[in-house]
Formats: sequence, C-alpha cells, structure tokens
Amino acid sequence: LFNTLAAVRVKLNTMLLYSRSSRAMNISTSGILRLNRSATYARSINASVSRKSFCLAADSKILEKSSVQTPKHTIQVLDENGKDVTPRPVYQPDPAAVQSKHSKIFASDTSGGTMSDFYSTTYQTTTNASFAGAFTRSLFGSGSVSIGSQSIMESMSEEIEDPSSKRDNSISLSDVQVKREEVKELIQEEMLDDMVDLYLVESDTLCLLDMPAISVSVDSMEAESVKERNSRYTELCKNRTGNDKYMGRSMQTFNGASKTKEVQSEAITMADAATIANNWDMYDSFCSAGQGEVDLSTDTDKASIAEMIHQNHGPTRTMERTMSVISSSTIVSSSSSRMEMEPFVVPSESKPDPELILQSEEFQQHLFVMERIILENIYQPKLAAYRQLPTLEGMVLLEESSLDEEGPPTPALERLWSFSCELTTGRNVSSMAWNKRNPDLLAVGYGQFAFKDQKPGLVCCWSLKNPSWPERIFTCQSGVTALDFSASSASMLAVGMHDGTIATYNVQSREKTPVIDSSDCVHKHTSPVWQVRWINHERALSGEDKGEALISVSADGRISKWFLRKDLMKLKRTRNDRFKRQVGEKERKSEALISRQAPGLCFDFHPTDSNIYLAGTEEGHIHKCSCSYNEQFLETYQAHKGPLYRITWSPFCSDVFLSCSSDWTIQLWRQDLFTPVLGFMSTQRAVYDVMWSPKWATVFGAVNEGRMEIWDLGASILDPTIVNPASPGVKLTSLLFATETDCVLVGDSDGQVSVYQLKNFTAGEGTQVGTLEDIIGSTLASQL
Amino acid sequence: QAEVEETLKRIQTHKGVIGTIVVNAEGIPIRTTLDNSTTVQYAGLLHQLTMKARSTVRDIDPQNDLTFLRIRSKKHEIMVAPDKEYMLIVIQNPSE
Repeated sequence: LFNTLAAVRVKLNTMLLYSRSSRAMNISTSGILRLNRSATYARSINASVSRKSFCLAADSKILEKSSVQTPKHTIQVLDENGKDVTPRPVYQPDPAAVQSKHSKIFASDTSGGTMSDFYSTTYQTTTNASFAGAFTRSLFGSGSVSIGSQSIMESMSEEIEDPSSKRDNSISLSDVQVKREEVKELIQEEMLDDMVDLYLVESDTLCLLDMPAISVSVDSMEAESVKERNSRYTELCKNRTGNDKYMGRSMQTFNGASKTKEVQSEAITMADAATIANNWDMYDSFCSAGQGEVDLSTDTDKASIAEMIHQNHGPTRTMERTMSVISSSTIVSSSSSRMEMEPFVVPSESKPDPELILQSEEFQQHLFVMERIILENIYQPKLAAYRQLPTLEGMVLLEESSLDEEGPPTPALERLWSFSCELTTGRNVSSMAWNKRNPDLLAVGYGQFAFKDQKPGLVCCWSLKNPSWPERIFTCQSGVTALDFSASSASMLAVGMHDGTIATYNVQSREKTPVIDSSDCVHKHTSPVWQVRWINHERALSGEDKGEALISVSADGRISKWFLRKDLMKLKRTRNDRFKRQVGEKERKSEALISRQAPGLCFDFHPTDSNIYLAGTEEGHIHKCSCSYNEQFLETYQAHKGPLYRITWSPFCSDVFLSCSSDWTIQLWRQDLFTPVLGFMSTQRAVYDVMWSPKWATVFGAVNEGRMEIWDLGASILDPTIVNPASPGVKLTSLLFATETDCVLVGDSDGQVSVYQLKNFTAGEGTQVGTLEDIIGSTLASQL
Repeated sequence: QAEVEETLKRIQTHKGVIGTIVVNAEGIPIRTTLDNSTTVQYAGLLHQLTMKARSTVRDIDPQNDLTFLRIRSKKHEIMVAPDKEYMLIVIQNPSE
C-alpha cells in the first residue's frame, strides 16, 4: 500500500496520458492490485506506456467510483494495442471541488488536479470517507498523517529524483487555481465592508528543489550502512549479468510535446543620467557634509545642473523642473544628495525679489567695483601717466623727440584729469589734503573765503580710481576752510569751518555726521578757522600731551590745541596762544586785559622739532613760537605787507621756510635771519598758496589768482620755470603736490581740482639740498 | 535705495558705456538699457561662460571663487559681475 504513493507519482509524470473509459470501471475491483503491481515497477522514472495507462486507468476508476457524475469523454485516442492514449488537457477545472471529500482526492479528471486536490483535502479536513480513507491512509502512509501540505510535498519531493519543469508548472498552476476557488467561497457580502486585518508573517520556507546529496561523508553515522548498501548493490549488478532472474528490456520514454507560452511585460524604460564631479564639487560636498547644514553655495556651482537650468529662459520655467532635473542626475554622495534637495525647496517658496536684489549689499559692492572698472577703462592712459607707468603714446613720442633732436625739451604741464562732479561746481576749493596712509585718497574742502556769499560747505573725499564721483560726501553747516588727515588714525579727518567750528569725520564709515564737533565747546573759536593740523608731539610735557593733537589757528587770534578724549567724546582745549597786535615797530610786552589780537591765518610746525612753530598773521608778521612758552613769541619776522596766506618749512632744509602773502610776493627765509633771503614775484596778484615740492629741495609751486607756477631755484630765481594760466573767469586757490609722483593738484574757484603732470621736468639728481644751500649762501654773499 | 539708482544711472552715463544689464538667477532681466532680445541673449550666453569660468577657477583651487569677469574684444569690453542671485553686465566701448 505504501507503493500506491509511488503509483500516484508515476501518474503525475505522465499527465498527458489519460484514459477514461468504461474499461476503467470494469477493472475497479482489481484496481488496487493493479496499482500495487505497477507500483513495483514504478521505482524507475521511465515507465512504459502501458504501465502508465494502467495506473491512470486505476486512478480514473477510483475517480468514477467516488464521484457521481460522469466525466465527459468526447475524444478517445487508442494506440495499436487498444489502449487509450487520449491526450489530456493540461488542466481541467475542478467541478467536484465543493463536493464530497472522497471526490476531492481525485476530483478532477486530470492528474494535475490531483496534486492540488491533495492539498485541498489537507486544508479541509481529515479523511473520513471510508473508501477514500483507506486510500488516503495508504497515500499518506509514507509520511506522517499531517495536514500541512509541506510534509506531503516534502515526502513527495524526496522520492522525486528528476523533477521536470513541466510537472512543476502543472502543479503550481493547478495549485494556484484551486486556492483561488477556496478563497472565493469564503468571501460573502457583509464581509466586504469589514476591516480585515492582514497579518504578514513569515511563511515557512518552501523548498522548491531539494537535491539530496548522493554522497555521504565518511565520518557520518550512516557511512557504514551506506557502504554496506553500496557493496550489496555492486554485487547485485555483478550477479545480474548472467542471471536468469534479470532480463534486459528496452524502454522508451514518451517525449512530451512542448508548448510555447508567450509572456509580455511592460517595456523597461531606461533613462540615462550623467553628471560631472568637479574638484570643487567634491570639495563643496565635503565641506557641507562636514558642517552638517545646508549650504546653498554648493548647489549653484554644479555645472551640469546650472546649465540645464539656464537652458530654459523665461517665466515658464518653474522650480519643480529644477527639482526633477536634480533628482535625475547622479549625486556624488548620498548625504550631499539629501542636502541638495533641500535648498532648492527654499527658493521655490520665496523667490528673490528683483527689488531685494537691487538693495542687497553685494549688488552695491558690485556696482561700485563696476563703476571703477568702467572709469579705469576711460581714464586708463591718464592714470597710467599719473602712476608714471610707460604708456604706448608716451613711448611713441619719446622716439619722435629723440629723432628730432631739437634740444632739451621744455618742461611743461600736462593736464591729466580733474576731480569734479555736479555737486562741486560753483564751489570754491579752499583746501586739499592727502590721506596719510592711502596716497590715493584726497580730501577736498569747499568753502568761500570771503565773508559774503557764504553757503554750506562741502567736504568730498575723492579716490584716484573714480574721478567722476567722490567716495564720501560730507555737508557742513558752513564753508570749509581747512582740512587735515590724521596720521595716527588715518581715517580721521579734521575740518575747520568758516564759523569757527572744528569737526572730525571718520571717512571709513558711511555716516554723514561728524564724529566730534567743537561747537559745544566753551572756548571754541569764534572766527573762521584757517588752518588745522594734526601734530604728533614726541616730547610730551605731561602725561596728557602724548599722542596726536589737533592744532588750529583762527582769525580770532588764537592758536588752540585740541585733544580728543575718547571717553568724553568731546574736544577739550588745553592751552592757547595769543597773538599780539603790533603797534608800530615796537613790541608791546605788557599784556593788557583787552588786547587786540591779530587774526592768525596760517601756521606750520617745524619738521623735526615739534615744539617750534611758525605762525603768520593778517598783518604780515611771522612769529616763531614754542609750545612750551605760551606767553611770548620767540622771534618775529616782518617783511610782508599783507596778510600771510601760507607758511611752510622746507622738508629738506630744516631752517628754511617759505611764505606767501597777498602782497604778490613769496619770500624765502632762513630761520636765523630776520630778513628774507630771497623774494619772488611774478605777477601782481595775490599768492594764495605755496608748497615745497616733496621731491626736490629747490622746487616749489605757487598759485596766485590767475595762474599756477612752478619755481625751480636751481634753474632760475627770477622767473618761474613752468607757468600754467588758469581758465578765464576761474581763480586758482590751492595747490597740492602729489607725494609719490610728479603731479600737482590745483583747486580753483569753480570746484574743480585739476591734476597736472610735470613733463620733462627735473631739477636734477637727488634732492638738491646742496643746491639750495648754495643758492642761499651765494645770495647772502652777494648781499653783503 | 536711491544710492543704488544713482550709481546705476551714473554708470550708464559714463563715456563709452553701451549698455547695462542686471538679470536675476533665472535670466530674467531686472534692469536693462538694451532691448529685450539682446538682453536675453547676453544674459544667457554670459551665464554659461560665467559658470565655466567659475568652474575653472574652483577646479584649480576649491577655496577660490570667481569675483569678476572681463572680456575684451575688438569692438568693446564686456564686464560681468556674477553673484548667486543676480548678474551685472556692462558693455563698454573703451576706445571711444
């Protein structure tokens, strides 16, 4: 009976063979016997056709017996022996699935269904049919009577030595279909609305293929029995050859007809994605990954993405497209990919407003730089000449001049450009000063000299890089008359005004208001401040005096020294000095309570000894004073007949100074002589400004109302070497030498500061100190 | 602010300046003194070039970054100030 299992198996092997005939019915009684018999031969896979048919017949017989219905038999194919070899369909639906359990065992007409029916029976209930019971017992006899389908499967599969795919297919197909029917009967109407809890559990491992090893390890327990078996078998084989018990017979397996089945699946869409990982790309990802925060700058640098973004212009492009673009491109690292998705979400929510862009700091900075670049393009040859860089035009000219050989070229002035803008037109340039630290920064003060037609003053800080618009513009309440940059804190600009106020501005900040104002001070000046200067006192009189102090001279006759107290933010005046008005030629030593004080117009500190300074008054007197002695002047130099506009020590010869006044003259003095060594007069105009050249000791520049002059004492002491007349209607008011180049700045009453370059001008090698001294010496000698 | 407007106006009135363009990050012009088609063309082409230039600069040294780009041609000079959110372009004829 155990072999019936094998019989069933054999039946399964040959699904296509099937015979349902009445003949099956007839041999029902002997079916079991038949089965048994056939089972013995069923060990081998290759079963004969007849055997199969018998088996099948046996099966079908049982089937007919158990079920009431008659299966349909329309076509029957008989082979030469009269056996039914009708090809069976692969699967036929199971009509008897719901019927009695007996029929379930072999309910379907096909053997393919039997396997599934096995399963169905196992799911349903145990065997309780009498006839089927016997059968089932036999069927299940090989293994334990278990309901789990796996055990049967396993027991079945153990014996199966050569599984064919065909069989598997049929098994699975029928299996699936039967199960589906099972499920269908369970679902009812009211159950549709129920919430069904689905529990996903791990199912037991289904073994689809198990090929047990045919070799056994020598160490295992079965080794002995296996060895014994093997030896017995070899003996059997040996005995077989000449033995009568064994007869060789040939068999033929039936080759099943193959059937092609076509399956169609959806086309797998492939998408190509590419990206470029640049050096900086990896660096950015690394940096942003290390920071652990979103770094917006990493995204825009992606060349591939950015190019894709900017291929589509116009408002139709949305941020969603960028997101899809990003997602399709491969990312270097997974972390960066996460971070890159995020920042592109942010801009989509709040797109930068065009107005916001225009207001932003970076935009202003870019505009600033752009303007400078544009101006550099425009002014490039002029600026290059200023910086004394060789220009192409200059070189061409040099070649031409050398060919001409006319003689030494005459020194001349070449106008490079002028600092002016619409703000400054119409204003009078009163003073100019270079920044001590940045030689490209120029501060220009605009204010009227005369008492009438006063208007609010202006201070403009110009940069060489932008001659068309000042960097800083400060408006002051009254006309500006004096300017100076501090040396210690290079951004402090002291401004003296026509109403006596002194203010300091910080040019680094964008504020338009002064840092400190002296208008609150008790002892402030009451008359126009004509000159301010920052002086550094090395030798301090007391602890307070160290550092830089602001000295100012004003028309109320006082020279005041101001200290800026950082904590108090207030100018504090520490000492003053008064001028005394000379009455006639005698000096008045006594101090009257009400002394008429001469308005001071200018002063200059000694270049090396910061204690000594010269002061010029409206009367034309030059007083040499000392900081440590407040009461009296040390010396007085009298030569000028008009107010002194400028006194300046020579930067090279420490005891020589120049003075200019409205009496049309410029006087050269030596400290120890009370009469001027040399006097210069060129035109009958008041000389407003004079300045020593920072490069040559014998050169100085002077500006009077109508023209600008450069004097070279080594060339001539009677006439200026270069004369540049002013434009008609414009008065020249101030002069400034550029410290590092051969340029001169001239300010005029129309608000223009013109930059001139000295061409073909040289006073000789070195600073010409010796020449100056020689000139002075020879002049003195000739005077004696 | 008014200062920005003033500076922009000043730039446009400088000698030799042919046009000024400010575009945002998407290529939409914010301010321009040229016609729309020219503006869009300049913006698109220069953006690509700026990207390439920036990539070059940063490839050599990733800590570096592009601040300004000037292209001088026979007829004029194109100056580009690139930024994350916008691009400022000025075309000037320097030899005028």
